[in-house]
Amino acid sequence: MATNARPLKRGWDPTWLLWGAIIAVLLFLVVSPFIELILSSFRSPKDGGFTFANYAAAYGRERYVQALINSLQLGAAAAVLAGIFAIPLAWAVSRTNMPGRGFVRMVVLATFITPPYTGAVAWILLAGPNAGWLNKAFVFLTGAEAGPFNIYSFPGLVFVIALYSFPYIFIFTSAALELVSSEMEDAANILGAGTWRTMRRVTLPLALPAILGGLIICFLEAIALFASPAMIAIPARFNVVTTQLFQFFANPVRVEVAAAYAMPLLGVTVMLVLVQRLITNRKGFVALTGKGGERRPIDLGRGRWLMFGYAMLVASMSVFLPYIFLMQAAFAKAWGRGFSLDNFSFKNFHFILFEHATAAHSVFNALLFGAAAATAAVIITFGVSYIVTRRLIPYAEVLGFLCVAPFVIPGVVLAIGFYAAYAPPPLALYGTAMILILAFTTRFLPIGYVNSSAALRSLNPEMEEAVRVLGGNRFTALKRVVAPLLKRNLLGAWLLIFIPATRELSSAIFLYGPNTKVVSVMIFDMSEEGNFEYLAALALILQALTLPMLWIGQRAMGRDFMLRRTAT
Amino acid sequence: MRRLARRTVATSLAALLAVGPLSARADVKALEEAAKKEGELTWYVAHYTSEGAEELGATFTKLYGIKVNVVRTTAQVAYQRLTQDIKNGQANCDVFSSTDIGHYVQLKAQGKLEKYTPENTPKIAKAFQNLDPDGYFHTTSGGFVLISYNSTKVKPEDAPKKWTDLLDPKWKGKISTGHPAFSGYVGTWVLTMKKLYGWDFFEKLEKNKPQIGRSINDTVTALNAGERQVAAGADGSTMFSAGRGNPLAISYPEDGAVLIIAPSAIVKGTKHPNAAKLYMEYLYSIEASEVDVKHFTMPMRPEVKVGTGLKPIDQIKEVHPTIAEIDKGIPEVIEQWRDTFGN
Repeated sequence: MATNARPLKRGWDPTWLLWGAIIAVLLFLVVSPFIELILSSFRSPKDGGFTFANYAAAYGRERYVQALINSLQLGAAAAVLAGIFAIPLAWAVSRTNMPGRGFVRMVVLATFITPPYTGAVAWILLAGPNAGWLNKAFVFLTGAEAGPFNIYSFPGLVFVIALYSFPYIFIFTSAALELVSSEMEDAANILGAGTWRTMRRVTLPLALPAILGGLIICFLEAIALFASPAMIAIPARFNVVTTQLFQFFANPVRVEVAAAYAMPLLGVTVMLVLVQRLITNRKGFVALTGKGGERRPIDLGRGRWLMFGYAMLVASMSVFLPYIFLMQAAFAKAWGRGFSLDNFSFKNFHFILFEHATAAHSVFNALLFGAAAATAAVIITFGVSYIVTRRLIPYAEVLGFLCVAPFVIPGVVLAIGFYAAYAPPPLALYGTAMILILAFTTRFLPIGYVNSSAALRSLNPEMEEAVRVLGGNRFTALKRVVAPLLKRNLLGAWLLIFIPATRELSSAIFLYGPNTKVVSVMIFDMSEEGNFEYLAALALILQALTLPMLWIGQRAMGRDFMLRRTAT
Repeated sequence: MRRLARRTVATSLAALLAVGPLSARADVKALEEAAKKEGELTWYVAHYTSEGAEELGATFTKLYGIKVNVVRTTAQVAYQRLTQDIKNGQANCDVFSSTDIGHYVQLKAQGKLEKYTPENTPKIAKAFQNLDPDGYFHTTSGGFVLISYNSTKVKPEDAPKKWTDLLDPKWKGKISTGHPAFSGYVGTWVLTMKKLYGWDFFEKLEKNKPQIGRSINDTVTALNAGERQVAAGADGSTMFSAGRGNPLAISYPEDGAVLIIAPSAIVKGTKHPNAAKLYMEYLYSIEASEVDVKHFTMPMRPEVKVGTGLKPIDQIKEVHPTIAEIDKGIPEVIEQWRDTFGN
């Protein structure tokens, strides 16, 4: 937490109204569904009285406890692997002269907009033990009996999840690295440290809050994901929290047990937030001061091609190979017939766009709700992280925690709370677009919060203090100094929320109404129906529509989506 | 009910006579008028593909000018949505169509269903009539779990002829199934196999290391990809994919294809009681059966021909457990399944 925040005199300030409003909204959005969840975890399904029986049912069996342990291991392994993919790339792209840096950013962007379930489907085709193309290629090249890859395994699931969540770490880390002034690295060089040691001891530690933020997001996302584990873990014969939870919803539905089962995840989140604070508390991370600093790329020599090779390896795994197979299915009359010209057709696209009753509309809904939710979440989290980093109220950290909590609770459980809080009167939001927008806003507060608090922490308060010394109030400081300095971060945060919000499945599936179906639900239904050709076509349409929105976003702010900063 | 009535008279006068033509027709006419005043209904449905469900809704709208809000999702999600609605006092759903009979047993016991027996009942195939003798829920859709296979890898003569053929070691590493905890189809299949051959069947099946998906339709994906060669699959989704040109075929097992009965019911406290009743009548109409067939689901009406590659129900050796067996047995087999297969 910001050790550098020195509160000025606490007089009346018009911004107090703003803080009050933001806190009220946060309480309404997060706290009311959560209270409902916590209460129901202690509620007897028969008479509504107080009971511990739900916890006993949820944790009284080894099988259920094992699923929780599997999830924690999965989250940790996926976060570490995602870090291995992301951190070298982020460093190479933002600090070195590696060739093709713009191209690598583009590929990471393409990875980021690939829904995790689409990636999982593609990897099943690539690394299925019998018919996976990689295995077939291996057998063909080596003459071996069988290929070495098996996606239906714990490592396979870790791999697929890490592959599609590493962009979070990449984006946070590269944004932070770009702020580090070359002067610090020069100082290390002068004192005799080489490129490698400088990176390890100076550059990366400066980006530590951002890296930790990214790792935490990956960890939490790996735990909360449903579709990829459902496709991979079940054939691999193990359960994780989300697949286990789904079984509590089978007949007889045990909502209360499901709520109890999810509660320890909240504890995990609290722990992570505390660990992050512990690590970052000791050090100062203020990199962006009012003063300019020179930023030069580091010359990697011949190593730059090695780095580029690594980047292309990651890119082939996350984008190049999977998309070959998605395109094949999307343009196939029957994908089971494989690659051949007489199997080529546009009719899947025609069907999705013009004949299907709801598919095209569901894409529109997803984009609309995603945009609304991203806007709301950015405003709220920017306000909250300002309150927290500048310690405007006592116990402000609690607000920070509230912002992070929603991510870890799997959407299927979160939806129970949302429904109970928003669907009945007085709000009566059932079946409206608003209930989905509220749910998405809440669900993605963590991304906005991690992003804007990292940005605010890198901003030296001396600049705001200067405004106030000169007689301006906090509102002026916010409007004239903080917001302009961070507007790029805010837009970046908006996009970081918008993209996953257009793909959110697990909470949407319980909250959509007849006219508010979103594309993720549509795709999930198609996967349940084994409708692979339509699924691939719909996924590609969604990707194609996301790209121009990103492009417009970049143009509007004069920077690209990856938070790249032109040297200031 | 103009179109419907005309066709009904033309196609099965005998059946109409059986229930008393004048009174029945007058009732349905009155029902139609009252339903039109209500103007719309909401249908939670897990039976068909989303395209199939949407087309059934749209056809109803075309016939009567009554809007159908189709919420098509999986059985579990539909059921959880309905129980949430009930718990929070929200009468959102008028007609509830799940593939899991257990849902109806629960809902009926809790008094959450409206009693209504469609006038059209005598006109549907015998196998589907009189599911609930008290008249709270009725079969409106059906399908079979049978043996499906990848037709480029397995010749028809080599395909398994009966369920026990799947235990032959030659299929080791080549079988695909769904999971009983995620799919009502699979649950009913597992229960039936247990009834026919004892749990031993699955102990032996595990020796062949089947790949276990989630939904029964995951078998379609596994077969198409060539990852597996034979499966306990569903007739509808397999033949739908085969109809597109995918290398799939089905075989009706000699020891019995497992008949899956999927009911519908009117939810108690519905805001559109007449529209809901009319919808139940409609699901037993020839128009609805024609849409069913287009989407490879079984027609309720015997006079409508089944989809390409499928057999009509009266030519199939079928087996199916009773409602009571399903309600009690499926939770048990899920536990046994997890003990045997470890997931």
